[in-house]
Amino acid sequence: MLTKITEKLSDIFWPTLITVLLLALWEILVRVLHVRSILLPAPSEIAITMVRQQDQILRHLWPSLYMTIVGFVLSVVGGVFVAILITYSEVLRKGLYPVIVVSQVIPKIAIAPLFIVWFGTGATSSLLLAVLIAFFPMTINAAMGFSSIDPDIHRMARTFMASDWQVFWKIRIPNALPYLFGGMKISITLAIIGVIVSEFVASQEGIGYLIKLAGGLLDTPLMMAAITALSLSGLALYGLISLAERYAVFWNSTRDDVK
Amino acid sequence: MDSLTGQTRAVPLLQVRNVRKVFQQTEAIRDVSIDVADGEFLSLLGPSGCGKSTLLMMIAGLTRPTEGAITIGGTPVVGPRPDIAVVFQQPVLLPWRTILDNVLFPVEVLRLPRKDYEDRAMELLAMAKIAEFAKHLPHQLSGGMRQRASICRALVRDPSILLMDEPFSALDAITRDEIGVELLRIWQVNRKTVIFVTHSIREAAFLSDRVLVMGRRPSTVAAEFKINLPRPRTIPMMEEEPFNHHSRELRKAIEASHAH
Repeated sequence: MLTKITEKLSDIFWPTLITVLLLALWEILVRVLHVRSILLPAPSEIAITMVRQQDQILRHLWPSLYMTIVGFVLSVVGGVFVAILITYSEVLRKGLYPVIVVSQVIPKIAIAPLFIVWFGTGATSSLLLAVLIAFFPMTINAAMGFSSIDPDIHRMARTFMASDWQVFWKIRIPNALPYLFGGMKISITLAIIGVIVSEFVASQEGIGYLIKLAGGLLDTPLMMAAITALSLSGLALYGLISLAERYAVFWNSTRDDVK
Repeated sequence: MDSLTGQTRAVPLLQVRNVRKVFQQTEAIRDVSIDVADGEFLSLLGPSGCGKSTLLMMIAGLTRPTEGAITIGGTPVVGPRPDIAVVFQQPVLLPWRTILDNVLFPVEVLRLPRKDYEDRAMELLAMAKIAEFAKHLPHQLSGGMRQRASICRALVRDPSILLMDEPFSALDAITRDEIGVELLRIWQVNRKTVIFVTHSIREAAFLSDRVLVMGRRPSTVAAEFKINLPRPRTIPMMEEEPFNHHSRELRKAIEASHAH
C-alpha cells in the first residue's frame, strides 16, 4: 500500500520537477540575455498578464469552451450512433465505414474557410468545424469497441440464450467503454482545435480571436497568456474525461491479465 | 455398441444419429452416432482438430449438422436450450462483472428472479472453493479459479446436460488434476450428464464412465471404452494398474485410428 502511494507520488513528482526546471531556465535566459518581451516574455510576465487581464481572457475563453463542449458532446453522441449503425448494418459497414476511415486523410482544418462561405462567421461555423474534426475518430473508436468482442464471449452468450438486445447492453456496451473513452480523449482535443481555427479564420469573440488580435497588436504577453489559459482548459477537460474513465472502466485499471 | 455400455443406460437422454458435418466442401465429421444415458460422464477423446469440438457445438445448438439428427429426450436440437450448458476452453468470464454476477449471468439472461438463484450460486461457488472470491473481479483470480467459476456459471440454471470443450487444457498439469477431482465431486452431487471433450488420455480415463475415441478428419467414432474404475475417483488411482490399463488401451485405440 505504502509503496503504491510512493510510486504514485514519484509519478507526479518527476514531470513536475522537469516542468519547473524548464520554466526556471526560460525565466533565467530571458532575464540574463535581455530578450525583449515582444519576442519572448518571461513566464513571470505571462503569469502577471494572466492575472491583470483575466477579465478579457475569461470573456473570450468561455465562448470557446462552450463551443468546444457542445461540439464534443455532439461528436460523441453522433459518433456512437453512427458506430451502432455500422455495427448492426452490413450495408453501412461495407459502404460507409471505409469512407469514414479514408476521409481521415483529408486535413479537415483546410475546409474552415469553406464553412465561413456556407454558414457565415458565427457560432454555427465554429461548432460545425469542431464536430467535423472530432466526430470521425470518435466514430471509428466506437465502431471498433462495439465490434471487438471476443468470439468466445459471443458464443458463451448464445449458449446461455442471450438475445441480440442483451448482447448489446450486457456485452457490447461495457466491452466498448475503453474504446469510447479513448475516442473521447482524441475528440476533446480535436474539438478545441476546430473551435480555435474557426475563430482564427473569422470571429469577433473567442480565445482564438483574442490570440489573433493580440498578435496583430504585437502584444506577445497577452498572446502567451491566452494560449496558456487555453492549454490549461484543454488539460482540465482531458483530465475530467480521464477521471470519468477511471471510474467507468474499473476492471482495466489493474489489468494484469489479458483474458 | 449397446452391449458395451452395460445396464446403466435405460433410455438414452441424448441421441446423436448419423450426424455428418461439412464445412465448405471439407467433411469434418462423417456418420457419428452416439447415445448418452442420463447422468453419464462421457468423454470424446481425440487429437486436436478432429472435429470433437464441432460435434459438441452441434449438440449445444450453435451449429446444425449437415446430415443426421440430434435429439434430447426425444426432441430435436434446433438451437441453444436452457437445459444445456457449455464450459469452454477459456473461462470467458465478463471482466467487468464480479465472479458472483458472472455466475448469475445465465439467470439474468433468461429474466429469472436473481434472488431465487443467489443462494444456489453461492453454494456452487462454495463447492468449487471460491466462495470468498464472489465479490472479486475475474482478473483478480488465477486461471484455475476462473475456470471453476465458469463451471459454476454453467451449473447455476441446473441444466441436465453439461458440455465441456477441453475445459482444462489451458491449465497447468497440477491444477488440472485438482480441478478434475473437484469437477467429479460437483458432478457426484448434481448428477448431470456430462460430455467432455479432451485430447488428454489421462483426463479421459480418470473422469469418465465411457470414452469414445475419435479419429482424424473426417472423424468418426473409432472405438468405445467403458472405464471400470470405482467412484469417487482419487488422484492416487492414477498410479495404479487398472487406470494404467485403461490408459494403454485408449492409447492403442488412438494409434490404431491414426493408422488408416
